[in-house]
Amino acid sequence: MSTAFELPEELTIYSAVETRDALLARVGEHSAKSGQLEVSAREVKQVDGAGLQLLVALGNMDVSWRLIDVSNTFTEACQVMGLSDWLINHQLKTSAGGRST
Amino acid sequence: MSQSSSDADQRFIAAALPSFISEAIEQTEAVEALLLELEEQPDNRELLDSLFRCAHTVKGSAGIFGLSKVVDFAHHVETLLDQMRDGALTMGPELSTLLLECNDEIKFLVASASDEAADTPEQQERRADLVTRLCAHTEGSNATAASAASVANTVAAPAAGQVTRWTISARFGPETFRNGMDPLSIARFLGGLGQVLSMHCSTEAVPSLASMDPETCHMSFGMELESACMRADVEGAFSFVAEDCELNVVAPETPGQKLARKIEEMPATPRLGDMLLSVGAVTQDRLAEALNTQRKSPGPPVSIKPKLGDLLATQAGVAPEAVEAALGKQQKLRDSAAGEEGRYIRVQADRLDVVIDLLGELVIAAAGATLQARATQQSALLETNLRMSRLIEEIRNGTLGLRMVPVGETFSRFRRVVRDTASSLGKTVNFEIVGGDAELDKSVVEKIADPLMHLVRNSLDHGLEPPQERLAAGKAAAGKLVLSAQHETGAILIRIEDDGRGINRERVLQRAWNRGLVEQGVVPSDEAINMLIFEPGFSTAEQVTNLSGRGVGMDVVRRNIEALRGNIRLSSQAGKGLQVDIRLPLTLAIIDGFLVGVGISKFVLPLESVVEVIKGGGQCVKVDAAGRHCLELRGNVLPVVRLRTLYAIESSNPEQDSVVVVNSPRGKYGIEVEVLLGQQQTVIKPLGRLFRSLRGISGSSILGSGEVALILDVGSLGELTVVGPAGRKSSARAAVPGEREAAPTLS
Repeated sequence: MSTAFELPEELTIYSAVETRDALLARVGEHSAKSGQLEVSAREVKQVDGAGLQLLVALGNMDVSWRLIDVSNTFTEACQVMGLSDWLINHQLKTSAGGRST
Repeated sequence: MSQSSSDADQRFIAAALPSFISEAIEQTEAVEALLLELEEQPDNRELLDSLFRCAHTVKGSAGIFGLSKVVDFAHHVETLLDQMRDGALTMGPELSTLLLECNDEIKFLVASASDEAADTPEQQERRADLVTRLCAHTEGSNATAASAASVANTVAAPAAGQVTRWTISARFGPETFRNGMDPLSIARFLGGLGQVLSMHCSTEAVPSLASMDPETCHMSFGMELESACMRADVEGAFSFVAEDCELNVVAPETPGQKLARKIEEMPATPRLGDMLLSVGAVTQDRLAEALNTQRKSPGPPVSIKPKLGDLLATQAGVAPEAVEAALGKQQKLRDSAAGEEGRYIRVQADRLDVVIDLLGELVIAAAGATLQARATQQSALLETNLRMSRLIEEIRNGTLGLRMVPVGETFSRFRRVVRDTASSLGKTVNFEIVGGDAELDKSVVEKIADPLMHLVRNSLDHGLEPPQERLAAGKAAAGKLVLSAQHETGAILIRIEDDGRGINRERVLQRAWNRGLVEQGVVPSDEAINMLIFEPGFSTAEQVTNLSGRGVGMDVVRRNIEALRGNIRLSSQAGKGLQVDIRLPLTLAIIDGFLVGVGISKFVLPLESVVEVIKGGGQCVKVDAAGRHCLELRGNVLPVVRLRTLYAIESSNPEQDSVVVVNSPRGKYGIEVEVLLGQQQTVIKPLGRLFRSLRGISGSSILGSGEVALILDVGSLGELTVVGPAGRKSSARAAVPGEREAAPTLS
């Protein structure tokens, strides 16, 4: 099993394009192998709406992934933004991600 | 580059300004109507909301046109309205008067948008005064609200009191991130205002990572916030993103309101899955499965993804009929939604007038063609012609229908007049509008407004008594004034009815004698005495108050109404009230006519006034002692007008004369004519100035053959039956300048 994808310290609009490209590249590599992509938010110290949106967008991809290790900053941001349930879903997730109808 | 683009902007704005002004004026009229309604039902939330929307629309569009005066002033009004929406202020007579005055000011500012000079120092002073009064209201309530807010801020959990539960939903525009704004900070700020009861971020609206531009914002959230803050504070959190953010802040609501809102918020076109689910055609699990399959299928273009309907039918085992029905329903809803949006288009009035003019020409040309076709006696040609005539008639009705507007819009303008006039006279009046949806040609509506206004004021001023006098007379203290409209054959009847003191016939007669309008000692019929108040020179200084300051006397009222081919009648009961009936034709352009001939002259009667035709009835016409013509019809005596005598037309064989029986406001009478030529669509052309004052004729028309026909005015012609030849002679002289030669003999 490969190492988790590490989200940057600054998960904000300033790094959004970079992070997206890196994430997509990782998703591309990953789907070839089996197993679940792991994303870590351990290092996240700064986060904004654009940063959260990136992860929500990842959640809307047809990719199996989950969040491991989240920083307090990240958890708090999710809570403020009303993404607590979403966060829990993606932390616990073991099967294919996707939205429910 | 920037220079030329700003020039283009300027040009665009200059071109769009007139339509802004006309729309803004409409908005202010709507505001006025809403204010008056709100005065009666101060708790009606819906009215208040529409009021706010109207005011906001004016302010917003004035901003686009750079009309800073309007924006500044409207802003103060909006602040006040906002506080009313929050319940900090309630509608009362004082507030309503203030808002009405402010609305007048906005109307003035909008109307004089392109004229700097119109804004005189007096106007500016007036505006400043209004702003001061507005601020007095808003600050008064702000103080209480602010103190409540400060209490809430010091105590961590807001104590019971002015705490409200706000429901906030926001959808951020795509540029939000790039503009340096962050929904997360806004959410955090809102959290600081009070207690967040629930917060939900909608993740569905965010696209997949692969197809997303990470700098474009797709966020939206819904929040329930318990806080003591004002609406303005909540909305203030969004002030930097307001321009491209769909924001909806809803004040606390009862469970009932909540349900109603949810229903309101349902998508106009329900999703296929939801529909099938609700009727039980598919289970939740099966639906989820089908959706999942659909999502997982390869290929980003939506078009090649399997359709949900197909999946449901094949996989989930839903009956194909059910899927089809649901799809059909969805399509129907979509179609009707699209139809709703395009319900109104704005057309310039003069473009419509051009079409109507052309239509008039078309009708005349068609009449000519029909005449020619008849001459050929070819049945195929006649048939085609008949079909064309029918189509033209439909086009005519349709096109004239375009000009029809409900008369209620004009009526509701009077609410304000009645309200202001009554209060300045110290009278209380219950004003009722009945039948405001009756439709009338727009040009007639515009021209009738002033005369109606005068009659309404007259009723308020002279008709209704002050409260004490009313009580003494055994009536309710509040007077009653009813303005009603209803359709009658081919005409509209507008009635102004009050329960005031009515016309004092003795005084009217006395004054008429004094002024030489009626010969001393002669006592005309009651009705004739009533009508004397419409005679020029009847109004006296004694009668004119500040209300009649427009220089419009009652004689002008009658003249205006008659100029519209209408007529006016009074029925008064002393001490009980006055009823003014105004009858107006529905349209000024084209009528269905009945063509008759005397000698070589042709006349057109409005078809709807024709009751019956007595062929050869001319022989039975008798002349009574006073020289009046009459006819015995089924045991009744019918007065008859002899056109040949009236207009001095030469004709050879009076023996074959027929009598056309017509209905007029005064009752039935007959018109003796020589030839009956049948039904004819008639385009009304105004009479030349020389003939305009001619009694009994309302216009002229050109026939298919190119001949001119005169259109008879059944109402005023009927009045000639009442007077004998002697009276008729003098009245004809008075009306027609010069001697008999001036009468149109058309020879």
